Amino acid sequence: MKILLGWIFVVSMLFANDATIDVIKKVQALPTMAIEDSSVSYDETFKFRFFKALYADLNVISLFNVDRNYREVDFDDASVAVQNKDMNYVLRYKMLKGDDNSLNVEIKLFNSDGIAFNKKYKISKKNIYMFVSHTIAFDINKFMGAPSVEWMKRRVIFSRVVAPQKTEIVIADYTLAYQHTVIKGGFNIFPKWANKQQSAFYYTSLDEKKPTLKYLDIRTARSKRVIASDGMMVCSDVNGDGKKLLLTMAPNGQPDIYLYNVETSKKKRLTRYGGIDVSAQFVDDENIVFVSGRLGYPNIFSKKIGSKSVEQMVYYGKSNAACSVHGEYIVYKARESSDAFETNTFNLHLISTKTDFIRRLTATGINEFPRFSKDGDAILFIKNYKAQSSIGIIRLNHNKNYLFPLKYGRLQAMDW
Amino acid sequence: MMKSIVLSSVAIAMLVFSGCADKEPVVEKKPAVEKKDTTATKKADAVETEIVSKEDVVIDENKLDNSESNEMKIARLQKELTTVYFDYDKFNIRPDMQSRVSNSATVANGPAYDYAIKLEGNCDEWGSDEYNFALGLKRASSVKKALVSQGISSSRISMVSYGESNPVCTDKTKECWAQNRRVDFKLLP
Repeated sequence: MKILLGWIFVVSMLFANDATIDVIKKVQALPTMAIEDSSVSYDETFKFRFFKALYADLNVISLFNVDRNYREVDFDDASVAVQNKDMNYVLRYKMLKGDDNSLNVEIKLFNSDGIAFNKKYKISKKNIYMFVSHTIAFDINKFMGAPSVEWMKRRVIFSRVVAPQKTEIVIADYTLAYQHTVIKGGFNIFPKWANKQQSAFYYTSLDEKKPTLKYLDIRTARSKRVIASDGMMVCSDVNGDGKKLLLTMAPNGQPDIYLYNVETSKKKRLTRYGGIDVSAQFVDDENIVFVSGRLGYPNIFSKKIGSKSVEQMVYYGKSNAACSVHGEYIVYKARESSDAFETNTFNLHLISTKTDFIRRLTATGINEFPRFSKDGDAILFIKNYKAQSSIGIIRLNHNKNYLFPLKYGRLQAMDW
Repeated sequence: MMKSIVLSSVAIAMLVFSGCADKEPVVEKKPAVEKKDTTATKKADAVETEIVSKEDVVIDENKLDNSESNEMKIARLQKELTTVYFDYDKFNIRPDMQSRVSNSATVANGPAYDYAIKLEGNCDEWGSDEYNFALGLKRASSVKKALVSQGISSSRISMVSYGESNPVCTDKTKECWAQNRRVDFKLLP
């Protein structure tokens, strides 16, 4: 009943503007959950680090009001810790170091009726513990019958500017707890996963004579040159089967959108406007949305591949320079102020192409690079606020935002 | 008029430059001359032999100087191709920047005639998306058009946009943002 009430509340709050007020109110409406540690291996520091990761993941699934107190109990105790007896749910876990140095985790989820769910996990090294934590949260979300959070297990790839003309390309989990620098040194930007399996990615190298699109297979560490263009070269989107790319190229200094066939290496120019046309994305195999300056300011348009006409998609905001599409929904970045000499604010907005409904998703700073998850459940974005770069995640159906800060450098672009 | 000033300044620079190259061996030789003048003086012998061997080295350095002069020439000419600044969210060349473009065209058509020109478009920190990169490129493209209209072959000019990833200034001030909205010239051999 409580869950049902919670859901009704969440849905009713979807139409509100101020996300912070929602979160405070919703905290009371969600069922409570406590976490208990029964680990037999590892030191206190690591045990607490794992607890914090699990706490963050359980918060992000947005189904519980998670208790932040760390408590240790025996794994085989039939009852939960005294302090947790009034909780709706208690998640107990035990970490055990295997002979092969693997990290083994066993969990039990208690509800008022006793053990409701249990499972074991194993991962080769303890330093990639966060993926176990994400998987546990994924399973609990599934057990609760909530819409899938498959995106939680996906990896994020991003480029980080460390100095002028110096970048790194990094593969991370969605919380940035795990970070692996795949390309060190050089000037490489706009990484884009090349397939669903995330086994390879495209990126733009600016170290060559002309901006060059390259393809890197992560498993073989082999990089190959795909195509180059004077002026600009970005892979904006990869279609479902990975065989078609939407590129921004500017062979004559004129940024336009091109469709590139990976198998035949043939390209086809899709836009011919004399200003700026960039950031194309597939809506399906026949339609794209893109950012264009054809109204005198950047805005979101759509067009059918092969047709000449374009359709304006967004009628709110005077400078909408980035977007992501999922079904009928478009999330876009809008400039809220246009002062050349003051700090500017860029917020993300969500619209439905079938209604006039607009929802502002962020409130402060520069929020950009929105990316829908494949299932449309969440939006990942880059937030630059003051001197801090973070990856943010918006749970649309729960009206919650979470931020995961980057320790150094500035996020340039990302994909997941 | 402008052209002649630039040319004469280039000529002066060349003179100073070649003067420097000539001077070095002279300086090195001086002690040798002194040695002959002051024959009476002391145990300069050891020093003299060292100087002789140094003279060999000087010849090598002269050779090096000649081969480096191309790079140094590029560096010197590049300084004459002054950065063009732009207004917020704009890619048209401001009236106060027209003279910079004209000067650069004069240099590009004159002393820098043998080099290819790379125009690097840059933006301030307001956005790292493709649109911002495209804006940087359109800025470079505006400068290219202006150069071509002043007689520079478009085949000599290449362009690239670095978006906001190549700032010359990272402070959070309006002066700093204005410095980053720019097109830089690079000469390529």
